[in-house]
Amino acid sequence: MEVNIRIAGAAGQGIQTAAGLLGKALTRSNLFAYAYTDAESRIRGGLNFTHIRCSREPLAGVTNRIDILVALSKEALSAFEELMTEKSLVVAPQSWPHPHRVPAAIGKLAEQAGSEAVSGTVSIATAWKILGQAPGILETLIREHFASKKNVLAQNLKALNLVFDSSQQIPGAAYFHLPAASSTGTGRMWISGHEAVSLGAVAGGVTFVTGYPMSPATSILINMAQWHRQLEVIVEQAEDEIAAINMVAGASYAGARAMTATSGGGFSLMVEGLSLLGMIEYPAVIVLAQRPGPATGLPTRTAQGDLNFVRHAGHGSFPRVIIAPGNISECFDMTALAFDIAEQYQVPVFVMTDQLLQDSQTTMAPFAVGHLPKRRHIMSPEALTSLTGYRRYARTESGVSPLAAPGDSRHVVVVDSDEHDEAGHITESARIADEMAQKRLQKGKTLMEASWKNRLVGPVDGRPLVVGWGSSLETLKEAVSRLNAEGLKVAHFHLSWLWPVQEQMIRQPVQAASRLIVVDHSVDGGLGAYLREVALRAPDAVISRRDGRPFSVDELYGKLRAEVIE
Amino acid sequence: MSDIKAFDNDVDIAWCPGCGNFPILGAVKQALAGLDLLPHQVLICTGIGQAPKLPHYMQVNTFNGLHGREVAVAVAAKLAAPDLTVLVHAGDGGAYAEGGNHFLHAIRRNIDITLVVHDNHYFALTKAQASPTTSQGVVTRFNPEGVAAMPLNPLALAISQSCAFVGQATSARPDHLADLLMKAIAHKGFSFINVLQPCVSWDHVRTYEYYRERCYEPGSDYDASDRLKAMELVTRAEERYPVGVIYTQQRPEYSDQTTSHVTLPLRRREVNPDAAVSLFSRFQ
Repeated sequence: MEVNIRIAGAAGQGIQTAAGLLGKALTRSNLFAYAYTDAESRIRGGLNFTHIRCSREPLAGVTNRIDILVALSKEALSAFEELMTEKSLVVAPQSWPHPHRVPAAIGKLAEQAGSEAVSGTVSIATAWKILGQAPGILETLIREHFASKKNVLAQNLKALNLVFDSSQQIPGAAYFHLPAASSTGTGRMWISGHEAVSLGAVAGGVTFVTGYPMSPATSILINMAQWHRQLEVIVEQAEDEIAAINMVAGASYAGARAMTATSGGGFSLMVEGLSLLGMIEYPAVIVLAQRPGPATGLPTRTAQGDLNFVRHAGHGSFPRVIIAPGNISECFDMTALAFDIAEQYQVPVFVMTDQLLQDSQTTMAPFAVGHLPKRRHIMSPEALTSLTGYRRYARTESGVSPLAAPGDSRHVVVVDSDEHDEAGHITESARIADEMAQKRLQKGKTLMEASWKNRLVGPVDGRPLVVGWGSSLETLKEAVSRLNAEGLKVAHFHLSWLWPVQEQMIRQPVQAASRLIVVDHSVDGGLGAYLREVALRAPDAVISRRDGRPFSVDELYGKLRAEVIE
Repeated sequence: MSDIKAFDNDVDIAWCPGCGNFPILGAVKQALAGLDLLPHQVLICTGIGQAPKLPHYMQVNTFNGLHGREVAVAVAAKLAAPDLTVLVHAGDGGAYAEGGNHFLHAIRRNIDITLVVHDNHYFALTKAQASPTTSQGVVTRFNPEGVAAMPLNPLALAISQSCAFVGQATSARPDHLADLLMKAIAHKGFSFINVLQPCVSWDHVRTYEYYRERCYEPGSDYDASDRLKAMELVTRAEERYPVGVIYTQQRPEYSDQTTSHVTLPLRRREVNPDAAVSLFSRFQ
């Protein structure tokens, strides 16, 4: 049993605040929820929504069906007719007629509470009542949320009480009752992808964050800025993305664990700096939160179009790592690991997300941290002091040179974006240039040891194989499990470690499939091109989107089914 | 005063014989030794060009990065490691063309680094294209009809934005430059020195002799804290160049305002995954 609630209205009407309250209330009631957001690039007006799935069981994929529509604007009231069912209920002011509108007097109750501004709270409380919940948990959350605004708090509490004091029953509501699980707290969190990435960075030891605002990456920069005092992290707003990536390089050189977050356009500006990081061999974590391009594209919407751009970005050849979390839990873990990998191998590591994953929220047990690495890979001042000389680019079997930070000893640390010798000084020597190029190539090979196995749910032999990457994980899992429940026997390979790869690890399952179906949220199916190169097989079918809207479970189920049956 | 020889190294120097960079290199070593600094306590950030090769030719921590991005690198390195004395050496191309935006924002931030621009009015390493400070009408292979755009006045720009320390010097007077460098480095905040530098390969007008004749120190009654007087000094229409401290003022330093809560330097920070756990309650 699951209930799908869509809160829709104009930008500036507090949709995300309302959805946040509802999601957290569900979480504190020991229920589970998953929400994704659809917003226009504007501050006021338009049509935005947050769609919340709620259940007694964990769930996380994108759905479109609407059981309860909370309409905060007239446009929202009529925009989603085809997503409603016979049983759907609509929460909206009485003056907006709709055949499914519940009789609750939204406008009147808000007026009684003292302000039209609380109609959002009246609507949420009404939805809460439809779910059969008692007001207590929602009341606590409203108290927490409006704690600093006494007058506003009083009006909101009054609104909540008016909804629940009303003896009026809501016809059809019983169908959507979600009995709360045991009332003892589980400590679960209500958390978004961008928050999980930010927490992951904290767990990975980030000490320096810089960036230039760009949706959908900005939220990560904002989170870090909000937490910087408690965490003792330096958060610097750069004058442009070129400055940001060069600041990452400068901070990293000075021994910080440094990161930036941007989207495709900003990353385009960073590309020369990426090449610099490759040449001088410094760690960096770059969160690339994708959105549709080219150019400005659809600023507030989602896409997975930058995989091959990131793989090939930068002039010259140098090692880099590309990882792509599939869900909010992986956002935390993989971002934390990114910092360790970056420093151990002295490479830029990309954490590729997208608007869908960044802005989705879910109910989640607190992240485990016990397994995360706690080491640093910088030479200690003691170890440095015992050296007679230090060469930043000393050649080693692995291609990774011991890393010293400037100021930690009497040795100086010399790095150069020109080709350089082992000491870091500019060189024109043909022999040294060749040796250094080889060193960087060797490091790329060594780096493969850090790779993890991608998620494969098989067996593959002779079966259709669905391959996806990144943010489609949960939606795809659910679609594939529906196919398997029908007896269709479909395997699912989901890539979260994309580069560098031991090709055999990708090639083996891909080659073993009866039919190769690629699911990639891009205009040209970039994952298909990747598999042609890495796994030497062209996809038999590519399921893609070009409109910036996320895949839904129903959509993928239907499209995959058609491909599999064929 | 530390031993100036500690800053020497034996890297082969790729500058032209007699290059205006040589006196600057000497003056930098002289200033650092004069401030009792040791090579490992100093970081020099540079980009690409002839001037940016400077740190290779001395014993010092060196970040020789991309053209025009040297200031951004230095800002971050100083934030992360405030115990380092951070200098930036750039040419007029890197500092005023490719890196113009970073220059503006470094003035705004007022972080405690020293920017030294080797201003020879050309992109010299790429064979004498016009830079932002090339005079109007100068013919180059890239500007066969002569440069049409007006030259930038970097001193006026910096003064107009209340840059905390603005100085000018010339390669033709290295002792004066060393003295000015010591003042700039000692000044807490963003310090900027424009160094008028002869280019022995491309410019046969502005020679050492030319600068020795035309550079002058404003009189002892000159008040470097008066912004309007400073502006008047650097915008006079004459072929003479004021040198020394042109403008200075005390402004709050950037790290003092932004990182006083942070345990520094960042290179000593441990990794503590439990720090994330302390934030979980916000989401519960």
